[in-house]
Amino acid sequence: MRLSNVAGLYAMRLRAQLGQELLALIGIAVGVSLLFAALVANTSLTGSFERVSMGVIGDARLQLAARGGAFMPDRIDAVRRLPGVAAAAEVIEVHGEASGPAGRRSIELIGVTPDFAQLRGAMTRGFSYAFIANVRAIGLPTPLADSIGVALGQLVHLDLSGRVADARVAVRLQDSETGGLFTSPIAIAPLRYAQELSGHPGEVSRIFVRPLPGRDAEVSRGLRELAARHADVLPADHDAALFRQASEPTNQSTAMFSVFSAMVGFLFALSAVLLTVPQRRRLVVDLRIEGYGPSTILKVLLFDALALGVLASALGILVGDQFARRLFSAPTFLQMAFPYGSGRIVTFSSVAIAAAGGILASLIAVLGPMVSSLADSDERPAITVRRGAQATVVAAGLALLAAGTAIVVAAPSSAGVAIVGLICLTLAMLLLLPRLLDGIVRGLDLLTQGVRSIVAFLAITDLRDPATRLRSLAVAATGAVAVFGSVALQGAHADLQRGLDRTSADLSSIGDVWVVAPGSANLLATAPFHAPALRPPKDIIDRIAAYRGSFLDIGDRRVFVFGAPRTARRPIPHGQMIDGETVRATRLLRAGGWAVVSSALAHQQGWRVGDRFTLRAPQPISLRISALSTNMGWPPGAIVLNADDYARAWASRDVSALHATLAPGVTQEQGARALRAALGSHTGLDVQTAAQRERDQRVASREGLTRLTQIAALVLVSAMIAMAAAMAGMIWQRRAFLAAMKVEGYGTAELWQSLLLEATVLMGAGCIVGAMFGLLGQSLLSRALTVVTGFPVDYSTALLGAVLSCAAVTASAVAIIAAFGHRAARVPAGSALR
Amino acid sequence: MLELRDVVKHFAAPGGEVVCAVDGVSLSIAGGEMVALYGPSGSGKTTLLKLIAALMRPDRGSIRVGDREIATLNGREAAAYRLHEVGFIRQQPDFVPGATAIDNAALKLFDELRRGAARQRVEPLLHQLGLGERLRHTAEQLSTGERQRVLIARALSTEPALLLADEPTGNLDSRRSREVMELLAQLCHERDLATLLVTHDPLVAGYADRALELHDGQLRSYVADATYP
Repeated sequence: MRLSNVAGLYAMRLRAQLGQELLALIGIAVGVSLLFAALVANTSLTGSFERVSMGVIGDARLQLAARGGAFMPDRIDAVRRLPGVAAAAEVIEVHGEASGPAGRRSIELIGVTPDFAQLRGAMTRGFSYAFIANVRAIGLPTPLADSIGVALGQLVHLDLSGRVADARVAVRLQDSETGGLFTSPIAIAPLRYAQELSGHPGEVSRIFVRPLPGRDAEVSRGLRELAARHADVLPADHDAALFRQASEPTNQSTAMFSVFSAMVGFLFALSAVLLTVPQRRRLVVDLRIEGYGPSTILKVLLFDALALGVLASALGILVGDQFARRLFSAPTFLQMAFPYGSGRIVTFSSVAIAAAGGILASLIAVLGPMVSSLADSDERPAITVRRGAQATVVAAGLALLAAGTAIVVAAPSSAGVAIVGLICLTLAMLLLLPRLLDGIVRGLDLLTQGVRSIVAFLAITDLRDPATRLRSLAVAATGAVAVFGSVALQGAHADLQRGLDRTSADLSSIGDVWVVAPGSANLLATAPFHAPALRPPKDIIDRIAAYRGSFLDIGDRRVFVFGAPRTARRPIPHGQMIDGETVRATRLLRAGGWAVVSSALAHQQGWRVGDRFTLRAPQPISLRISALSTNMGWPPGAIVLNADDYARAWASRDVSALHATLAPGVTQEQGARALRAALGSHTGLDVQTAAQRERDQRVASREGLTRLTQIAALVLVSAMIAMAAAMAGMIWQRRAFLAAMKVEGYGTAELWQSLLLEATVLMGAGCIVGAMFGLLGQSLLSRALTVVTGFPVDYSTALLGAVLSCAAVTASAVAIIAAFGHRAARVPAGSALR
Repeated sequence: MLELRDVVKHFAAPGGEVVCAVDGVSLSIAGGEMVALYGPSGSGKTTLLKLIAALMRPDRGSIRVGDREIATLNGREAAAYRLHEVGFIRQQPDFVPGATAIDNAALKLFDELRRGAARQRVEPLLHQLGLGERLRHTAEQLSTGERQRVLIARALSTEPALLLADEPTGNLDSRRSREVMELLAQLCHERDLATLLVTHDPLVAGYADRALELHDGQLRSYVADATYP
């Protein structure tokens, strides 16, 4: 048969089954859209940072980097003199905040020299040589300038680690000039001006180097000699690797949710496509009778599948793009250590993966149920499973459940094991679902044997009907997968949120009132400043102590290191201990030379309690581990020492916060007012109460998990629509039967009730099974978060969440079906006698 | 048992034309009597059947089953009447998908009996109809003739006074048609059933005690030109 005839045949049949085809199209599109949105969100997060990173480094391959957010003397001349160096350029990077008439934004001020042109990075492309060499002004990407309301030539107010300054905007960077940097939170200034603004004259953060071809090792050796023990020699793109590690939990959880979304979408589509199976079977039989061979029949079916898959994928990608634009914004909490923007990066692989997923789902949904029809022409029930095969399926399901449960009980030792556990539980659920559904139907049958009504009988027999079994299972599986994913991931999310809330409280309560550099990127108080001499009234502020903190790169992790004052009531956050005794660890920390290390970092480095390790800070020091903790809410991990050890390690008396301990009976607000008065009006520092800091940190951590909440809600809504649509389609096809039942004397109400009972059993069973497995999944994920990533997790069985998810999906879908079912049940009895 | 007097039913056809599907039909069927209603397609047979089954109301006239007027029943009463007082056999056997033969036969009893009791009630009937070995078989496992016999069992399960049959052998070959009709005739007489059977098959009509012909909505005696077995 010619392709044009195949297309014509498809068009003719499409008119007859447009409704079902549209449902299938929507189902696949839902899955594709969520998968695509998650892929774009993840790519955009890492891609946005990589653009900033690559924009700065250009074609440099090595860097000499200051440690722990500190600065080092500018040794660019010495670097250039090293044998094998083709080009080198120094840079200073300072976290801060820019404000204008329209608002404030966290920024990374990057000071550069004209030498950057030799590295050919995108960052300096929009600047003239004269600007970079001489001007005392800054350049801002246009979106950033617009967001704070600063026009060309106007002044922007900068808060840079306790120093304030007004800088003129000399350049507004356009997209065409800077590529990906356009959406990044950066401000670019000539090096000397940036050093002056930040108060670090003659100092830089890094020196990027492009060695001559084949001389990387030689240049690396030379750089190490220059660095001595005070700086690091790293690949130029090392920050990108650090960011990938830091953003891994966010990306993994998004990816996991998107896989559940894709499964729900596929089951949605399968349920819808199954509605058209009888028509397709008849078509196959007709074509065979008319003399067409298997290859022609396969061509016709393939055309069906591809037309559906391509259209659904295209629609899914369009909708997913909107989700990515409007819903899945990049979490900002990582901006505390990495400058990245809100750019949306759509890669070819994201489009290809989403489209391939959609087409594959369509092929499976269309061709899968037709396999038996392709083999022979007999009409047969959609699924016929032999008793032996059923036993094998149950045995496989139980084995997978046992394996998943074993992983939960033993606590997963790596992210890979956790994912294997989750796959085991999902497959076990899907394999056991048919038998569990059978059990529920059998139980209902036994319960209603004594009931004098047709309602239960009709519902039960339809649920048992082999001809519609696959469709029923697809509906139940849709609910099961959606609720499983939602309960497991939302439960783990709630556990993590509770843990993070506790961490926020623990970290904030180290001091009653804090003096810090302002800015949302300084939530963990990591921006250093010269401590001003403060003399607040003694009757309000009992004492003021130095707190120091920053991010230090250890291996592939950008670790949060903080030094709490020895005098603090709780220098170690009490609720964060995993291994070790808090009182002893606190005593050792105050004594000095001891540190508390987060468990995932210690595990990666092979450190145990009691071990000695070298903290490779600007001035490396040796410390012993007194206890292991959570990661304090910072994905790559944390190290706690005392503030004096920190000062020794960073060779600086700068602080990143001042802690005020209040006199007895003084409120935090009174203390904050007294400190603000002591600081005066011209300060670049902010005064925050512990309660305010805790609130801000809670908001930031919630914001970081928003994407998961959004995807979970979308998955549940999709499942609800999928199940309602599939059931409604099934019910609508049954009108002739309902009319026949009316001829037998049964009324609309009884038939409607039987439809509702069937829908409730099918969807309720799927959702309940999903919720039960979801609770296991939650336990698995929460344990994985604790053991693998070291996140602070406060585990609590999400029974209420499970019940609510289950009830919400079932009730919403049944409500839709109630309206649809009532209309179907009102079919005139006479229509059975035409 | 069944008595129709001057029953009229009109339909508005597309285009505004009024079609008189049943035009002043009067008919009486006694208990134990089988009447065949013969006629070509569009003659009003199915409409008459619907009127007797209270699936629609006549525009005029009276339909009495026993002492009861059917033409004025409301929807709920009509359903109860069909459930308890009428047995209906249709051309297309309407099986509950996935249900066994015995459950399909007992379908009309589930409203008044527990399921076990309902099955017990219909089991002897199924044995009598030769389905004793097929009680637990589903529709897919039964032959067309067996399915039709299950439907007969369902129609008789409530021990109705009136049996309506719409082309009961429409899907059967002649041998099976004969088997089913012999069975129906036997049951009708044994159970004192007033039976109205609609057909356009002279062979089926030949089993009736009386044959009538409906033509353009009007009833007249049917004179067969075939030799009935």
